[in-house]
Amino acid sequence: MGAAASLLSLDERHALTSLRHLFQNEPVTIDKLESLTLDELYALADRTGLDLPPGLARPFVIEEVLDVIEEDSEDRRSSQGEALHIDEKKYAELRIDEIDVDPGADESMAQRYNETMVRAIVRDPSWAFAFWDVSDAELESLRGEEGSAGLFLRVVELRGQGDAAEPEGQREYFDIPVADEDLQWYINLPRSGVRFRIDLCARRASQAGKFRVLARSNEVESPRLSLATDPETLGEGACELLSLSGVEELAIEGCADANPRRILQSGSAGAADRAD
Amino acid sequence: MGSGYLALVLNAHMPFVRRPEYPRFLEERWFFETLSETYLPLLRMFRSLEADGVPFHLTMSVSPTLAAMLGDKVLGDRYVEYLNAQLRLAAAEEERVGADPAFGPLVRMYGALYRADKDDFLELYNRDVLGAFDYFYKKGRVELMTSGATHAFLPIFRDSQEAVIAQVETAIISHRKAFGKNPAGFWLPQLGWYSGVAEVLRAYNVQYTIVTTKGAVLGDPTPRYGSFAPVECPSGLVAFIRDAGGTDAVWSEASGYPADPAYRDFYRDIGFDLPAEYLNGHLEEPGERIFTGFKYWAVTGRSDEKRPYDSVAARARAIKHAELFMAERLASAQAASPLMDRPPLMVCPFDAELFGHWWFEGPIFLETLFRKVAEAGALEAVTLGEYLRAHPTNQVSTPEFSSWGDGGFAEVWLDGSNDWIYRHATKAVERMSELAERFPDESGLRERILNQAAREVLLTMCSDWALLMRAGRSSGFARQQVEAPILNFARIYDMLCSNTVSTEWVTKLEKRNNLFPSINYRMFRKKR
Repeated sequence: MGAAASLLSLDERHALTSLRHLFQNEPVTIDKLESLTLDELYALADRTGLDLPPGLARPFVIEEVLDVIEEDSEDRRSSQGEALHIDEKKYAELRIDEIDVDPGADESMAQRYNETMVRAIVRDPSWAFAFWDVSDAELESLRGEEGSAGLFLRVVELRGQGDAAEPEGQREYFDIPVADEDLQWYINLPRSGVRFRIDLCARRASQAGKFRVLARSNEVESPRLSLATDPETLGEGACELLSLSGVEELAIEGCADANPRRILQSGSAGAADRAD
Repeated sequence: MGSGYLALVLNAHMPFVRRPEYPRFLEERWFFETLSETYLPLLRMFRSLEADGVPFHLTMSVSPTLAAMLGDKVLGDRYVEYLNAQLRLAAAEEERVGADPAFGPLVRMYGALYRADKDDFLELYNRDVLGAFDYFYKKGRVELMTSGATHAFLPIFRDSQEAVIAQVETAIISHRKAFGKNPAGFWLPQLGWYSGVAEVLRAYNVQYTIVTTKGAVLGDPTPRYGSFAPVECPSGLVAFIRDAGGTDAVWSEASGYPADPAYRDFYRDIGFDLPAEYLNGHLEEPGERIFTGFKYWAVTGRSDEKRPYDSVAARARAIKHAELFMAERLASAQAASPLMDRPPLMVCPFDAELFGHWWFEGPIFLETLFRKVAEAGALEAVTLGEYLRAHPTNQVSTPEFSSWGDGGFAEVWLDGSNDWIYRHATKAVERMSELAERFPDESGLRERILNQAAREVLLTMCSDWALLMRAGRSSGFARQQVEAPILNFARIYDMLCSNTVSTEWVTKLEKRNNLFPSINYRMFRKKR
């Protein structure tokens, strides 16, 4: 057991529980509990008389086990003081001025990882960000006599999922030509609320119209910018409540003139007070 | 029961800056300033309300990096040095302008602030500021939440699920270490929500989070109570909805309360106004123009011609603003109430640092608000957990991807100034998962190295640096704060792949980036 594992040891003056025996009289620590597998934690809980429902996440099981140990928050706090103390000792042999872990001047960050990949991140309803890379070897092999690999991004719209998905050939897409040295691009999306992926492709110089998919991105979805439900169908008062929530100010499609602002105007008693 | 519920939520967060290898480090001052002007004054406010029997209730997120810094001995020692330097500056200022009828009282006001901070930090709390918050947590006054381990903007990492899990799991463990129990609430950094995060949070037994009005209103189905009641996601996670009116009143840069002419101007500071030779004798950082915290001028107006700050007038203004804020929320609640089957809820989340640090009079505003709300009885101040216990059943709806940044989505954290981060951060996550798969059962030195690798990966994901790059403030420093952990991780990855380990270097790195002592690199394993 390393020094780090002693962190947060619970106060030994207390905690005369069965857990102590399970740990052969060593202090019970969160770290120790954390080192157990989920099955072991369940077994432990069982032996201490806890009846836990199956399927709990680890931290929750640990929490339950810890709760068995009756100690008040004061004890936990004082034990944290000990923990800091132990942490200090752990590093006592090192003086502060010895720490110089900054990367040296000769160390600079790799700009790319020399792999063939493409990834998409949605930024907002109108824009997505794509970054990609083509390994040096692959780029070399793609470069034809003209010296260009003929790279382009194909933004493919995805509709339906599983069996309901459209066949690949019928999907809508648009292409964005990119230079060999480009590594990222912002893509203007045709509309909000669209699911898509990005294929990194290379044209085959020898065969007009033919291309190869080098890499395929994760599937992403741009956020919708209109209400998912017609507010009129949400029940009495829903429109007014949305208006009171300030929906007209949110640049949501179709909401700008959906409701008069009369409620807000009559409702804000202190509005005139603000200006004085 | 009153006409409605008011739930104030404060997000207390600082990015991890700790550089023990330098005798002093400029950016560590951000933490010291906020501790002096926000966290300790907030605690004084809580004590004052408690002493007077005011039933105040609020929710507060203490981010894992802030908790790590509040619990750190090196930073605690340096904070005392900082306070001593501030008190020396106050003494020098007393000599310089103490007799001036406008500035003399202000010098003494700052002197009193730093003395109170020093007394509280050393004597009252014995340096244990987390314990001071815990006291009110255990009393049920302040419900503490946690937040992403390093304040990652999670929607950008939605397709790196291990990264999101690592941010959440590390945060839960950090909270439990600091406060002895699991948090019920999770503050999504920058209120960055995407639908899949609900399942991750539920797996850690998180009960609630907060989303923006826009994210909620664009949710499916549309919430029928607007922002006046939370929604429940299919996974069972409850999403509270930010009240746009309440937040705009305070937050709006142009028209928010803090822009009032009577309030203290943040930017006019003797650190930039006085001759360098005078300041050099009193500053920790001779030769550099920095904010000293000694600010003598009022906002006044748009011009550079400022009036001297009048703390009495500013206090009166803060009280007036608290009354106005309450009246506006009450009017809003009264308009919404007849349309609902329960009292309307208004959730007002703010960065804690606004109160005191940026908006100097903010703590007065908050304290007055709690007192007035209690006196008037028309609104009830609640924590988010208290609301949920009173109203456990809520409309099922899934909010849309959203954040509280400009535009409401991800443009603040993903633009030309900061987009370079994500190629490297996602690669680091991918490689960390690869390492965790390859070395699942390590112990001893190799386990320590893998755990340090996991810390470095988390540090690359911090959204604060991306924000500073976009804002063009401290952007060189911000860039370095991301590049360093990327390089550190790359070095560890190479070490483990080539099986050549520099124990000394890793130990030093552990000692500097010492946050999350119980981190477990195995959380990066692929979920099956």
